[in-house]
Amino acid sequence: MAINGNGDRGQHWEAQLRKGCLEMAILASLWQSRLYGLEILRALSEKSELEVAEGTLYPILSRLKAEGLLESEWVEAEAGHPRKYYWLTSPGRRRAREMAGAWNEFAEKLTALVQPVVGGRER
Amino acid sequence: MTSQQLTDTRIEMYLNRLQSALAGVSSGDREDILREIRAHILDSAGNSPDREGAVDRVLRLLGTPEELAGRYSTECQLTRASRSFSPWLLLRTCWGWAKLGMKGTLAFLLALFGYTLALGFTISIFLKPFMPDKIGMWIGPEGLDIGVPSHPEQMHELLGHYFVPVIAAAAFATAIGTTHALRWMMRKRTPGLAIPTTRESGLAQAS
Repeated sequence: MAINGNGDRGQHWEAQLRKGCLEMAILASLWQSRLYGLEILRALSEKSELEVAEGTLYPILSRLKAEGLLESEWVEAEAGHPRKYYWLTSPGRRRAREMAGAWNEFAEKLTALVQPVVGGRER
Repeated sequence: MTSQQLTDTRIEMYLNRLQSALAGVSSGDREDILREIRAHILDSAGNSPDREGAVDRVLRLLGTPEELAGRYSTECQLTRASRSFSPWLLLRTCWGWAKLGMKGTLAFLLALFGYTLALGFTISIFLKPFMPDKIGMWIGPEGLDIGVPSHPEQMHELLGHYFVPVIAAAAFATAIGTTHALRWMMRKRTPGLAIPTTRESGLAQAS
């Protein structure tokens, strides 16, 4: 089990942080093009190092669609089976823009706050 | 049976179990989910040299069919329930949510306590005309009793003719308060929070 209590808590905090960003990250991954589930997972892992389990992603996609933020369509593929492609609806684009705006503002302020900590300057 | 066939059988068994576990979902949605999960498994395993290992991995990341089905219904129900005023839907949703973690368990206990209390108040109002001398808000050395007193000889009734309006207001306030608290908890929930990510399950296995 945990050798270092602080380290364990740090990892827990990081996991919570990542999960909190998940919905925004999924919407953002669809900003430029239509993608199917596996492509969304790859986009998240390559561009943001967000490792999402497939068992987590698909139910969230289904909810985002039920909320009207995403739309989907089955497309025949060379693989021999059709794939379900997702894209952002206009409310989805609006939501993604709002979330990204809020995220940016938040991140800028926090970056300023943690600057001395990251720089390692003592008071 | 070749290992290719064995792997195919495993995929079919997984999908069959998922189909049974999704019994509560409408048939159109269920077919759609099954088709999508099948495509995902086939795509993930598609070009891998070790097809068996790849299928193993993707089935593990999907979680058991029952867990996966639970996440589908909880994700959709939480959204629907957080906009609903139906105690029955809220209570049922909390039951599903409780299986996923601490926060859901707290919500379920709150739902159970709040709605049972409101129901108890309502029943005592309906019983009042039939047992006018027994039903009341009784106070005694051991505290407060609403309904039939536990020790009538040591207790006296507080509300008299006001019993019905006061208890009706209390029942209403309890039910509305519980509903609002549950809706608030459901809206406050971080998306996907109750659900482990690969990173976290990896850590859990390592420790």
